[in-house]
Amino acid sequence: MKILIVEDNPELALEVKEYLTGSGYICKISKNCEEALEEINSNDYDIMLLDLGLPDGSGFDILKEIRKTESKTAVIIITAQGELEDRINGLQLGADDYLTKPFALTELGARLFAIIRRMHGFTVNQLDVHDFSLRLQDYKVSFNEIPINLTKKEFDIFQYLVLNKNRVITRLQLTEHIWGDILEVNSDSNFIDVHVRNLRKKLDKHAKIEWFETVRNVGYRINV
Amino acid sequence: MKIKHQLAIFNALSRLLLILVLWLMLPVLVEKVVYNHINKSLFEKKQKFIEHLDKEEINDFIVRNDASETYASFSTLHSEFLLLSRVPLRSKVNQTFFITEPRIIEEERNDYRILQYYFRYENTNYLLEIGNSLSEINDLTFIIRFFIIIVLIIIVVITFLADTFYIEYLLKPFYKIIDTKIRHVNEPEAFDHTPIKTHSRDFQELDTVLNQMMDRISELFKKEKQFIANVSHELLTPIALLKNKFENLLQNESLNDVAVDKIVSSLGTLDLLKKVIANLLLISKIENNQYEAKESIDLDAIITNLVTDLQDRIEDKELSFQKNLEHHFSFTGNKTLMHILFYNLIVNAIKYNKPCGTIEIKDGFLNGNYFLTVSDSGIGLNVKQQQNIFKRFTRVSSDLEGQGLGLAIVESIAQFHQITIEIRSEINVGTTFLLVFPNEQKLN
Repeated sequence: MKILIVEDNPELALEVKEYLTGSGYICKISKNCEEALEEINSNDYDIMLLDLGLPDGSGFDILKEIRKTESKTAVIIITAQGELEDRINGLQLGADDYLTKPFALTELGARLFAIIRRMHGFTVNQLDVHDFSLRLQDYKVSFNEIPINLTKKEFDIFQYLVLNKNRVITRLQLTEHIWGDILEVNSDSNFIDVHVRNLRKKLDKHAKIEWFETVRNVGYRINV
Repeated sequence: MKIKHQLAIFNALSRLLLILVLWLMLPVLVEKVVYNHINKSLFEKKQKFIEHLDKEEINDFIVRNDASETYASFSTLHSEFLLLSRVPLRSKVNQTFFITEPRIIEEERNDYRILQYYFRYENTNYLLEIGNSLSEINDLTFIIRFFIIIVLIIIVVITFLADTFYIEYLLKPFYKIIDTKIRHVNEPEAFDHTPIKTHSRDFQELDTVLNQMMDRISELFKKEKQFIANVSHELLTPIALLKNKFENLLQNESLNDVAVDKIVSSLGTLDLLKKVIANLLLISKIENNQYEAKESIDLDAIITNLVTDLQDRIEDKELSFQKNLEHHFSFTGNKTLMHILFYNLIVNAIKYNKPCGTIEIKDGFLNGNYFLTVSDSGIGLNVKQQQNIFKRFTRVSSDLEGQGLGLAIVESIAQFHQITIEIRSEINVGTTFLLVFPNEQKLN
């Protein structure tokens, strides 16, 4: 998977690159419209992360350019300008997803997973972790074919942790993933703990889950 | 009161005053004209009489009259009379006087205009009186007055109507300016710059000035929009960077617990910073009219959706939540914003509630307007807190979480949708937010 990161802040671009490279993607950075267009025309990319506020123009211009060429590159718009107007604009112009700055890298990972799954025509329908499988098409989890009854939130948490395996996921990241980009300040992240506790209880019935780790004061991690 | 009504009332009153003055002055005027006329004719009669007068004739007059030293003659209907009498010597010889006084002729009393002429003829003084009855004249005066009043009333009505229509025509551009340029313009982009057709210079000027003013506002709106975009980009990009760095740092196994705690607390602070900026930007964007309000909104669906999302928190406090929406009210607005509005209200109702308390959402109609209330059985607010509750960065209590922007946002969103929001609260009993929805949607 080749990803083009179009972002004018070099440090942020490097952080994203570091994370994505760690997840096994091949990344390249373009820091303005001109570079980005040049890069697209000379190389094939599967996915492009597109910042809208670029020094020499708007990311929308690049998006328009890409959609003209009928390229199959998936585009995730990343913007600080946020909110409805840009979102509608972007999705109308053919963006595949949308992230608002500041976003968690793990959230980006989850979105990328969904896009790649869609690009491959939903052929990846299952995530496996230590004898547990998550069926993505109908939100069911099973242990060696024995179905486990999870709530939607429990499933979402489980999937998010599995997708970002071997990484510590903070409560804040989980809260944002489950409840969306809520604007409420200090929204109580303890509710995540309640769901995680229930989830672990349900999994624990079937097998030892020492790989489902609680990181003190921080959050959770699934080790593989 | 509208100018056209004020002018109409002024017109009507001034004309009525005119009629009244004329009505009062008419008798005086008519009297003057009529008396002048009578005086003239009496004077002519006198000249005629004197011209042909000689001794015989006088004697003839007087003698014929039972030697009473007086001669009198009157017309059959007593409208005129002539009286010649001998009088003692007087100083006013050859002078003519006019008087008005009642006379009784054959037991009939009438007002007369009388010419008195003293003259001397062959050493004898005579007084000649020629009278003309005024009763007929009075009748005539009344008829003239009546006739004039009728004509005046007709004229007044016609000019009043003409004036009213003309004022209406003159003021038409004015109301058009108000309607098309001011009332229905919620945002500068919707402003219509085409000049209003009018022949009055005043309105042309008003129109021009309004156009100029709107241009300036429009410019400011654009600048603010640009500013908001810049702020978001310039502030949120570094926050994104820090957030990613901290999150990557957390993956480092060699960190000790103290370092991890510090990173987590830094992430918390970053999250706070991000949300404060996002909230302030949200308010600015609402006030800068950057949202569209064209979606059909089902309030019931929004609330049901929210309650599902917030179920954990409601259960955690063991609150009983009652949604009693009886009217299926839907209106046009912005779904995202309405979602935020109810989110903030319901979260407040949860946050400031007592354990095992209640939250109730009700609706109904008040003076024809749909209303919705969100009530909690929480700690309540005192009067001072109620006054300040919608101000930015106001918090009910310092030990409760939140940065005090939630209700400021609620107010901005309500204003954006022309929803009136009121708060009723009693300490330790609870707080109720009342949302009254506008009847007619005049949004963008």
